[in-house]
Amino acid sequence: MTVPVALQPTTVGHKGGPTLLETVVCTLVVALLAIAIFGPLFAPGNLFRSDIANSLMPPSATNWLGTDDQGRDVLWRLIVGAQTTLLSAFLVVTLYSLIGVAIATASAAGPRWLDEGLMRITDIGLALPSMIVALGFASAMGPSLRSAVIAMAITGWPLTARMLRGIMRQTMEQPFVAGAEVLGVSKWRLMTKHVLPNSLDVMIVKWAGDIGTTVLVLASLSFIGVGAQPPSAEWGATIAAARGYVSTAWWTVVAPGAAVALTSIAFGLLGDIIQVRRDPSLRGN
Amino acid sequence: MPLGRSGASVNIVDDVDFTIGVGERMALVGESGSGKSLTARALMQLDRVARVSGRIDFEGADLLKLSEREMRKLRGSSIAMVFQDPMSFLNPLMTIGDQVAETLRIRGVGKAEARKRALSVLDELGVDRAAERIDAYPHEFSGGMRQRVVLAMALVGEPRLLIADEPTTALDVRVQDQVLDLLDEVSTRRGLAVLLITHDLGVVAGFADRVMVMYSGRIVEDGEVGDVFARPRHPYTQGLIKAVPRIDQDLATLYAIPGAPPAVMNRPSGCRFHLRCDQRVQRCALELPAMLHAGRTRVACHLHDGKGI
Repeated sequence: MTVPVALQPTTVGHKGGPTLLETVVCTLVVALLAIAIFGPLFAPGNLFRSDIANSLMPPSATNWLGTDDQGRDVLWRLIVGAQTTLLSAFLVVTLYSLIGVAIATASAAGPRWLDEGLMRITDIGLALPSMIVALGFASAMGPSLRSAVIAMAITGWPLTARMLRGIMRQTMEQPFVAGAEVLGVSKWRLMTKHVLPNSLDVMIVKWAGDIGTTVLVLASLSFIGVGAQPPSAEWGATIAAARGYVSTAWWTVVAPGAAVALTSIAFGLLGDIIQVRRDPSLRGN
Repeated sequence: MPLGRSGASVNIVDDVDFTIGVGERMALVGESGSGKSLTARALMQLDRVARVSGRIDFEGADLLKLSEREMRKLRGSSIAMVFQDPMSFLNPLMTIGDQVAETLRIRGVGKAEARKRALSVLDELGVDRAAERIDAYPHEFSGGMRQRVVLAMALVGEPRLLIADEPTTALDVRVQDQVLDLLDEVSTRRGLAVLLITHDLGVVAGFADRVMVMYSGRIVEDGEVGDVFARPRHPYTQGLIKAVPRIDQDLATLYAIPGAPPAVMNRPSGCRFHLRCDQRVQRCALELPAMLHAGRTRVACHLHDGKGI
């Protein structure tokens, strides 16, 4: 991922060394990504097979986080699930960002009636609780991870569209946009080559933070049964499958729960850290 | 060429009528808010909200009759424009090579060819080590160099008319001088006509062939630079020239034209300058002075009516 240079070089964040929080969060994010990408390559082959004789074993030297009701290793399922969960979250954020960018661009560049129309639709999208709407879409499409991803993609864009439209409007006032226009650059090229790239830096902060929220919502949808289905190792689905054993085998629920919490917090903080790094005036808040 | 803005529908600029010959350098001067920039923007058809009536002839075609698409083709290739602030005129996320080449690329010139021509224009405009720095970003250049890049962007499409809206105002005096010399050189070499918008009479004297003075949305005087400076006819022009600080003059006695230009909504009757004029007569408050012609010199002032100019 390329992080664009901020518009005014003077506002490019503080140059000091990383704080403890920054080090912890960045390490965590890198570790999570590494686990999600490379972890499944080393996974044993029995993660989706039952081994009833070994079910609900507490954490031990062979099964660091114990086993679940089917006798499968909890840690390895978390690792495989990390890929499913993070990949889905990235997909959701990418998809709704694309929709948001398209709507924001059309709104900022288009005639007034189009802007008005699109922004009113965006207002409706913002007013509805997106998780409930996603729930409805996902169950209508038939419960599956794919349905949950699509449902979240089509409900997640309004905030991106609203924010980005405002930023693009501001960028359009920049003299270099007028400069390109007087040299005969077409509206389309003006928007895509000049306005949009110079409007994205704030959005990248938002999207990084959004990964965290999306992991949480995706796990919730799977937990209530409209997302990933057993025997998927997706974290929400894993919690749902294990919820009956919370009093007898706490590790089957706590481990994926902690994974969801840690991931959403790490990405949420990553967004904040990028923002603070860009703007020194926010330091200390 | 009366201009009006729809909605409030005020005429901001009235009866602006002028001709720029091939290769001619025309300066348009006046205080802030006198309509200089708006006139230039009207030439380029940039303000969609502004209504321009009349004619704008360019090489035999009336620009007001062109479609937006045809106008876009003309911008950059026949008429180009540069603005005041060289930093904010450049896209911070594009290399200078790409930005200069863009004018050509959007007209279907191939990538390698566009780059070659961009490089040769950057070279021509004296950008240091252009070949090495063509892939650098704007923030890596100094103000003067950036203004050269901006000029290169405007000139790479080989326009016949360049509109320069206060191109040197944001630069320090030494760099200002270099940029003007450069503009002078390029305009001579290419036979490029230049409409220079400025409020700096020193710049006018050093660069232009002709000067046109605007006040409150109207042209008040127009003539050869030497002639106007030696013998300004309009009291406003006289005031402007008197107000230029001189090195042999005590700063305390620096002349200023009394008062401030009127707001667009609140222009006085008759001659718009009469309230600030030290030579006004009764007629000035009642009657808008007509433009008096003598050769290529023009002035709109009652003082010269019937007496010759």
